[in-house]
Amino acid sequence: MHLQLITLSGVSVDKDIYELMAPTAAGDIAVFPGHEPLVTLAAPGALAVRANKGDKDEALDYFAISGGVIEIKPDSIRVLVDEADQGDDIVEAESKAALERALKLRDEAKDQVELEKAHQLIDRHTVRLRVAELTRRRRR
Amino acid sequence: MPSTQALKGRIRSVKSTKQITKAMQLVAASKMRRAQEATKASAPYTAAARELLANLSRHTSVKGHPLFTQRAVKNRLLVVIASDKGLAGAFNSNLTRLYANELIADDKSGVKNTTITVGRKAAHFVARIKDTDVRGSYQDLPDHPDGSELYAILDTARDLFTSGEVDAVDIIYTEYISSVVQRATVQRVLPAGDGVLESDASPTPQDATYEPSAEEVLDGVAYRLVSAQLYQALLDSRASEYSMRMMAMKNATDNATDLIDDLTLEMNKARQSAITQELAEISGGVEAMHE
Repeated sequence: MHLQLITLSGVSVDKDIYELMAPTAAGDIAVFPGHEPLVTLAAPGALAVRANKGDKDEALDYFAISGGVIEIKPDSIRVLVDEADQGDDIVEAESKAALERALKLRDEAKDQVELEKAHQLIDRHTVRLRVAELTRRRRR
Repeated sequence: MPSTQALKGRIRSVKSTKQITKAMQLVAASKMRRAQEATKASAPYTAAARELLANLSRHTSVKGHPLFTQRAVKNRLLVVIASDKGLAGAFNSNLTRLYANELIADDKSGVKNTTITVGRKAAHFVARIKDTDVRGSYQDLPDHPDGSELYAILDTARDLFTSGEVDAVDIIYTEYISSVVQRATVQRVLPAGDGVLESDASPTPQDATYEPSAEEVLDGVAYRLVSAQLYQALLDSRASEYSMRMMAMKNATDNATDLIDDLTLEMNKARQSAITQELAEISGGVEAMHE
């Protein structure tokens, strides 16, 4: 099953995989080869990829994704999101600091626009932090 | 023949012009590289978005969606993307020519139009035209447009479209094909999925399931996918602008080099003939003293 993870800054994944676990608007789904054709909304969250059948959970690759759309065909999956960061590329300390900044921004927000922006940042960094943690745990 | 002094002055001035054009060439080249990378990076996303929109637009439950509504085109919105600065070869003139042709075509078929301009050059051009209604004009966009400008343009376009004030939205921009080939193009972005070639759509089985529902998927992605197209058009325009400016400045630098060579040759000739003449006068004088 071929997976393409396409973002505004390029194609981050373009390879054959065995299983994809993705957060969608209607809850998390897992996709195996031969899945029925499906188009669904991706929710911001952690996307997990199992490259080969029989790979242990420890070998999963994690990506922090923003919202977008997932198009599934029996032999291929296309994930179209604004941005996706691989777990290995996220520096946990940085994300933590960014999350704290965002929380502070929310507390100091003066109007609805600022509040909205802060909430977006919080969501984004929470997801990134979770993905970083998942990746770290995997390596142990 | 002009004097050596005058020629020297001209050479000096051409040399300083050459320095300027050379510097502009280098600046444009480095900016071009970055813009090129940006436009190449987002190209797969836009292509996939277009394909997906094409697939969605053929889905039956799409017909009622505000962004997909097909109407007879009586009034259309043109988003003209030009540059802020000139000295980019035919970049702006190619674009405004295409825009003018579109206006003429609209005139003939009795379609009214509304314009949004991006870039100072587009604004200047539109200001001289009477028969279009200008809704907005954006200038000094950064090389990597972030949400604010993008969505400002897009929201205006969407509101005009959904309120029925315009029946179609076209972007006029310069498509970046390679660093030597750029082409001014018109692309329809609304109604979504319109103007997409049949070949763009992959044969997705029509019976694909939509979760949570087709309507919700549409609501979630249509706007995003349309915005990707505008984003790509902005990036393409930038990359094209820098490529064309680089080429224009390279030609200017080459011309300056040729001119300097010609002038130097002429100056040497003038100097040599002055020396020859002086020698002739001296030897003439010597001859005269002998007698």
